Amino acid sequence: MASTKSERVENALQSLLERLVPAQQSGEDEDRADQRWEDANNLAHDILDRGEDEAVPVEDVNHAADLIKRKLLRENASPEKATTFGNLYSRLLAQPVLGKKWAILYFLLRVGEEEMDGMPQMAQSRAGSIGVESRGGYGEEVESEGRYEGNGVFDDAFARNGLPRMNEPESPRKAFTRDRERPVPARSRPQQSEDAAPESPVKKSTDGLEPPESALLRDLPFTLQGLSSNSLPFADKRSLKLPPTLPVPLVSLLHTLAEPSLLYRSLSDFVESSEGGLVGQALRSAIGIELRSYLGLVATLEGQIRRALAQLDENQPNGGLGKAGVTLKRCVVWTREATLGLRLMSMMVESAKGKKGGELISLIHSFSSSHGDPFVHSFAERLLVHVTRPFYNMLRAWIYDGELEDPYQEFFVFENQDHEDSGATSVWEHKYRFKEAMIPSIMTQDFANRVFLIGKSLNFIRYGCGDSGWVESYSKSASRELKYGDMATLSLSIDEAYKTVMARLLSLMENKFALHSHLQALKNFLLLGQGDFIALLMESLASNLDRPANSQYRHTLTAQLEHAIRNSNAQYESPDVLRRLDARMLELSHGEIGWDVFTLEYRVDSPLDVIVTPWANKQYLKVFNFLWRIKRVEFALSTTWRRLQTGARGVLAAVSDKLGEDWKTARGRLAEMIHFIDQLQYYILFEVIEAGWNGLQKDIRKPDATLDTLITAHTTYLRSITRKGLLGGGGALDFTTQLHELLKLMLGYKDALDSLYSYSVAEFTRRQELSAKIETRTKAGKWGITEADEDVQSPLFPTSSVRNRLRERETDSPLPQLLPVQGIDGERNMLDQLRQRLQSLAVDFRARTNVLLGDLAYQTDMDMRFLGVAMNFNDVYTPVKRRRQKTADKVQAPPSAAGSTTRRPQGKAEEGKA
Amino acid sequence: MPSASTSQPTAGEDKRRAARETIDILFSISSLLNTNLDRQSLSYCVSLIENGVNPEALANAIKELRAQNERMGVSQAQ
Repeated sequence: MASTKSERVENALQSLLERLVPAQQSGEDEDRADQRWEDANNLAHDILDRGEDEAVPVEDVNHAADLIKRKLLRENASPEKATTFGNLYSRLLAQPVLGKKWAILYFLLRVGEEEMDGMPQMAQSRAGSIGVESRGGYGEEVESEGRYEGNGVFDDAFARNGLPRMNEPESPRKAFTRDRERPVPARSRPQQSEDAAPESPVKKSTDGLEPPESALLRDLPFTLQGLSSNSLPFADKRSLKLPPTLPVPLVSLLHTLAEPSLLYRSLSDFVESSEGGLVGQALRSAIGIELRSYLGLVATLEGQIRRALAQLDENQPNGGLGKAGVTLKRCVVWTREATLGLRLMSMMVESAKGKKGGELISLIHSFSSSHGDPFVHSFAERLLVHVTRPFYNMLRAWIYDGELEDPYQEFFVFENQDHEDSGATSVWEHKYRFKEAMIPSIMTQDFANRVFLIGKSLNFIRYGCGDSGWVESYSKSASRELKYGDMATLSLSIDEAYKTVMARLLSLMENKFALHSHLQALKNFLLLGQGDFIALLMESLASNLDRPANSQYRHTLTAQLEHAIRNSNAQYESPDVLRRLDARMLELSHGEIGWDVFTLEYRVDSPLDVIVTPWANKQYLKVFNFLWRIKRVEFALSTTWRRLQTGARGVLAAVSDKLGEDWKTARGRLAEMIHFIDQLQYYILFEVIEAGWNGLQKDIRKPDATLDTLITAHTTYLRSITRKGLLGGGGALDFTTQLHELLKLMLGYKDALDSLYSYSVAEFTRRQELSAKIETRTKAGKWGITEADEDVQSPLFPTSSVRNRLRERETDSPLPQLLPVQGIDGERNMLDQLRQRLQSLAVDFRARTNVLLGDLAYQTDMDMRFLGVAMNFNDVYTPVKRRRQKTADKVQAPPSAAGSTTRRPQGKAEEGKA
Repeated sequence: MPSASTSQPTAGEDKRRAARETIDILFSISSLLNTNLDRQSLSYCVSLIENGVNPEALANAIKELRAQNERMGVSQAQ
């Protein structure tokens, strides 16, 4: 076996030598050729024999494969070759034929190394992988080869490109050459030769470089990492000091290389720093990732440089750098793209100063959306994925939990710190605010609005409505990961969340908090919708309220209120509604009577006060006070009217000879006033309140209603009531004061009429008494009327008349006394005064009504114009058009909206006092 | 055994084909590595190694021979 084996070895070796050793060449004698053959044969045998004794490294197929793979990766920029090798290798493993795959691979590797890198490399790597003892045998040869290769630049270049060609008589390699050169032509041989050619003159002239290029190369990795080194120290934070001894071309190369170094330095400073919010930190981490990949590049570069430096030969010009294939120029090329990236990042960092959150995202997004360079675009997109992560986390917490997780105020919603916890209104309206500047440009305004509303609603459901259970289950079921670049999913989930949350909020309002029934109750009680209740309340309170304000007691008021509720249809309201109804007094001021200070109140608590805000409550109170006053006047006028009607058949008829004319005009005027009040009341209750109520109902029932719609609808409702209800807000003209004046006039007229009525009654009594006396006297046989009787007692001075009568009885003397004279004068005065007063009140009333009608006729609102028409349906009044200047003055005085809001409290105070 | 007799040649055939395939693969690898060995030389080398020659030594021998050739070629060119 052994013999056959050695035979086979011999045979194979011979055939191999035949192929390797060139045949006899022309101009060469046979002996010499034979000699050559002999030499080669001997040499081969020699080497192989020595190899026999040598320790063979551990036979490990994988090890050899790894070596090859590494080599391929090292020498080629793209991993394509390595993968090709990987495929071949696995196929090889599957082949059963070979017994020593490792050895073969190892052999190929060795041979290949020579071809690629020349001898020095081989010696070096051999020492690394095979062991020290093998070196001794080859030391000489290595050196001798070194000598041969030391022939100069020409040899360098020639050997690299020329030798393989000489050794390659056959074509099969070509097929693979194509394969090899296709992937990255710039990085492999052509690049090298390109490098070598232009550099050769430089090399010659700069042979004595100080420091040499090799030293610069050695330091370059450190410089690229922003570390100072011997030849390239950093002078300070922002500058790199170049050795002054270098020639200009090299300096310009170093300039180019200094850029990434300096940029890296500043960027790594930025990454180390810690100020800024979450988005800022995300930016930092994203940049950190980019820097790490930059460092990876630097590490590869360093590997290349080290490898190149290791095979440098001191004897060659320029240290053989051209051969090693790594030069400063090459480094510039390799770091080009990274430099671009660094430059871009540093630009972002510069402009990101002082910005945070949404602004920052907008900034980076502007790079990706509006920059023409696809490199910049993709770079910014890559950064955005990282940078937006905290933003999307916030967004998620906001739209699924209604929580604001934003420790650095970076979200476009911020919690209003100032709002004092004064009820739900502020929770809804003021707790969270919108910050326009913080909306990142990755989402639209409308979108952001929706997001804001969702979060606010969720927060409100949780804290305002106490329904955190639902919020939690909702967040569990609906929550999903949000991330950048998936706008479709995002908007879909936002829409979904919006619908769900709004529907939930509305149903909570309607069902749990009975919004509708409360609004209804407000309308029934405060806007006098419930007629029977109001009438009953007024009747039972009337006598009470006529007394001065300081003699009103709350318990009597509440008792009367209770009475009114029990005896009207209001008793069928739900107890929850009735519980909220309360009667109370406004703060007193001197000289007021009960009517002025009485008010009904309907308490609305959280969370409904989001809709029925304190402002709305005030409006309700205002309207109630106004309506209550009208109602009171109406009540008073009707009472008087009733008395007149009943009296007309009795008492008044008896005195018609004296006061008939007065009563006739009085009745006419009273009817006029009652008509006025009726029209006014009808208008407010039916044209204004009911119409507004209808509008409100319609708005609430809208399918896409949100809480905001409800609030707006309710506000509009109240506004239209106050505006159309002649309660201010009517622009230039102050209807409220006019109406108050008119109502005051009516009350005064009614009082005067009451006095006239008492006068009439007194007159009637006097006549009765007189006739009774006459009768008794006639019966007694005396004169029916005596002188004394002519001194008629004034009906309004009963004391004096009583006194007279007493005197009559006591003295019966016909002494003309002062008092009766006074009495007659007083009585006449009284009547005159009354007449005068009635007259002046009537005139005043008519004048004011004319003015009011004049104002109404020029209102823009149709309903208000119709009120004027209804009041003056038969053209009794002659509406006065206001003088222009006066109107102009008034226009100037209250500047519309702002004016009306500031005036509201005043108006209320006036009401209180009036 | 007819089956054995029929399988014998096919087995030989298989073996040859496998050997050819192996050489193909090795050749691909060798050209990846720029060894500049042609197919024939490669197969000689493979057989040498299969027969227990130290691969390191063989590689050295080949390189040595090439270097000599080169020197000769250079000297001739001069």
